Amino acid sequence: MGNITVTINGTEISVPDPMTILEAATQNNIDIPTLCHQPDLTPNGVCRICVVEVEGARTLVAACHTPLTDGMVIHTRSPKVLSVRKTIVELLLTAHTGTCVNDVNAANCALHKLASDLEVGEPRFHVQKPRFYAPEESNPYVTRDLSKCILCFKCVKACDEIAGKGVLSVGYRGFESKIITGCDDALTHDICKDCIVCADACPTGALSRPDLLDKKQKGAV
Amino acid sequence: MPEKQIVSMNCGKIDPDNIDTHIDQGGFKALQKSLEKMTPEDIINEIKTSELKGRGGAGFLCGTKWELARKAGENQKYLICNADESEVGTFKDRHLLAKDPFTLIEGIAITAYAIGAQTAFIYLRAEYHFLLDLLTNAIEQAKEKGFLKHLAVQIREGAGAYICGEESALMNSIEGRRGESRYKPPFPTEKGLFDKPTIINNVETLMNVPQIILNGGEWFKTIGTGNSRGTKVFSISGDVEKPGVYELEMGSPVKELVVTLAGAKNIKAVQVGGASGSIIPFDQLDTPLSFETLLGSGGVIVFNNERDITDMVHQSMIFLSEESCGKCTPCREGTEVMIEIFRRLEIGEGVPEDMENLEALSEAMMLSSLCGLGQAAPIPVLDSLKYFRSEYEDRIEKSQILRRLPRSIA
Amino acid sequence: MERASQDISLSDKKREDLLMLLKSAQAEYRHIPRAFIVDTAKALGLPENQVFGVASFYAFLSVEPLGKHVIRICQNLPCYLKNSRMIIDSVKKKIGIIPGETTPDGRFSLELVSCIGACDVAPAMLVNHDVHGNLTPQRISEILNTYD
Repeated sequence: MGNITVTINGTEISVPDPMTILEAATQNNIDIPTLCHQPDLTPNGVCRICVVEVEGARTLVAACHTPLTDGMVIHTRSPKVLSVRKTIVELLLTAHTGTCVNDVNAANCALHKLASDLEVGEPRFHVQKPRFYAPEESNPYVTRDLSKCILCFKCVKACDEIAGKGVLSVGYRGFESKIITGCDDALTHDICKDCIVCADACPTGALSRPDLLDKKQKGAV
Repeated sequence: MPEKQIVSMNCGKIDPDNIDTHIDQGGFKALQKSLEKMTPEDIINEIKTSELKGRGGAGFLCGTKWELARKAGENQKYLICNADESEVGTFKDRHLLAKDPFTLIEGIAITAYAIGAQTAFIYLRAEYHFLLDLLTNAIEQAKEKGFLKHLAVQIREGAGAYICGEESALMNSIEGRRGESRYKPPFPTEKGLFDKPTIINNVETLMNVPQIILNGGEWFKTIGTGNSRGTKVFSISGDVEKPGVYELEMGSPVKELVVTLAGAKNIKAVQVGGASGSIIPFDQLDTPLSFETLLGSGGVIVFNNERDITDMVHQSMIFLSEESCGKCTPCREGTEVMIEIFRRLEIGEGVPEDMENLEALSEAMMLSSLCGLGQAAPIPVLDSLKYFRSEYEDRIEKSQILRRLPRSIA
Repeated sequence: MERASQDISLSDKKREDLLMLLKSAQAEYRHIPRAFIVDTAKALGLPENQVFGVASFYAFLSVEPLGKHVIRICQNLPCYLKNSRMIIDSVKKKIGIIPGETTPDGRFSLELVSCIGACDVAPAMLVNHDVHGNLTPQRISEILNTYD
């Protein structure tokens, strides 16, 4: 459990072992963007936004779940890293059909913020059937609009690990994957009560708190 | 280099329903030698000497992997035989299981003893349910003969998912979960099935073990090439006269398999390694089949001169998208976007940016996907852009002509 | 079917038995009924959504009812190169449904699936667990007639 020495963006740093690349970067004020990660949850490793270049590695590696090893040389903003990150953001925007443009919540959307940070314009790509789901407002505590979901699975982790309720999980597979409750049932008050940790974890407003939404909308008028 | 049978040496010579016919051919002598005359470390050293690499596609050195599991400080360890052969155009494991289940069981018994596993699972794909009785019967007969006193061998059936051939997804499936890939580290040798040290090897890999134990690692090393020892069992299909299973010495040229053995004519291209395998054009048929060059799972598909390569790659991408587990962004979204590009190219709606967009997508998928499925998915796309670029250009040009036509004609 | 789990024992089962249980249900009821998911989740101490998540992941499991016989035609390259499209058309014509559907009499369901490992006898299909290879449009009727 001693210390190890790694190099991030040319600067040598000494960090305790074990530690992930992301933890070390954060500790040293080096910004690595994330979408599916939250420090109080175990890593999901699914969005792949946090990929970084490690010298000698065959592929880029995700900073959120990759442990540091002694002597590791890491580049968090190499041209390759930035190019791949940009493509991933575009991919997430491509199949995403939320009404974000007109939405007062869009300012809070981590995906939109990231797209602007990485200077991603109109996505270069298209899919035949973008995801579209009708918004659900039947639950007084959480509003669900799965068209905005980017399948980061953070809500599933938050519901499991923080709330300890296991109300959410993943159904189907591949491009059809979907965050589900019950047997792919509506998110009613019977299924989910009022802890709202999922809405707080959601980066895009696919899950949101109607109380906050109301206030903002009122403020916007 | 001619055909050479090590793994499939008993196929067709024994009755897969009767263990005695296998014993008559010298079966289970390697297991007896292992249990009576060798320590687990001796076996691992022999396998290390042989430089045997995994035959499932990734090609990791078996001895090194086994040693890690052997040394892992846990009492409970597992061995998994990966019989989830699902790679497009690959059916050699089906052939081996159907013709000679006993050599596999012997390989499993030796490997489990070497790594210290008391339980071994055979993960059989759902599509091969018709092999379940034969395999169960073979295990029972081996048990009755007293060959499995140190080991419980259980069969677990899949339920239709290519991704479960990926080792972490396979373990999730045995645990009763969705067949999603896990990120690494931790590696299975430290934290695998039920969080215990686990070795996962393909059917063909394990079937190499008995002959290495009998003849020695040095003998095995004399076969094949510098980085690819031994033989490889290939499945060949597509535009050939004689599709089937052939075992060749590593390093044999593609031509020997495709032309000499399978009788292909008018070859345009060959895809080696299934849907995400490399595509090579006709003028590269002298390329040797080995880990250093081309290999994958050993599934070889031949395309003749009438085939349109963009159509072939489109078909591969449909498969990969269908089989993506959906967990990570680049694979889940990238395969779907690629299908959309190939669909437009096919119906005459291509645009000049399509080629560079395919390249950008390929880069992101290869470099950032969570597991091998997404990382390898762009290989045929990039190969086809390299060797058959004019086919893309033709389709894009035709699309532009179509767009300029008045609507009533188009 | 009120109590789905009557025919399949759920006692002393663990999470690792889930896939096997779901496969038994698929064989017994031709799909994974909601009641079975509810009972299984209770027996294994899992949320229903996790059982549904597994049931909806695998291609050989279905949360929608399927026919008595499931026809699975391989749609990948080796079969595609041997005219699997023609075979798909003949099956469609013969039983009057498109992939993803079940005949009104509940006799057949038709699915297009990933490589079934029968590429040496392409084009090929599975009917239930039986492999049929070297298919021709002429042989389709003959084969399907053996499944009543």
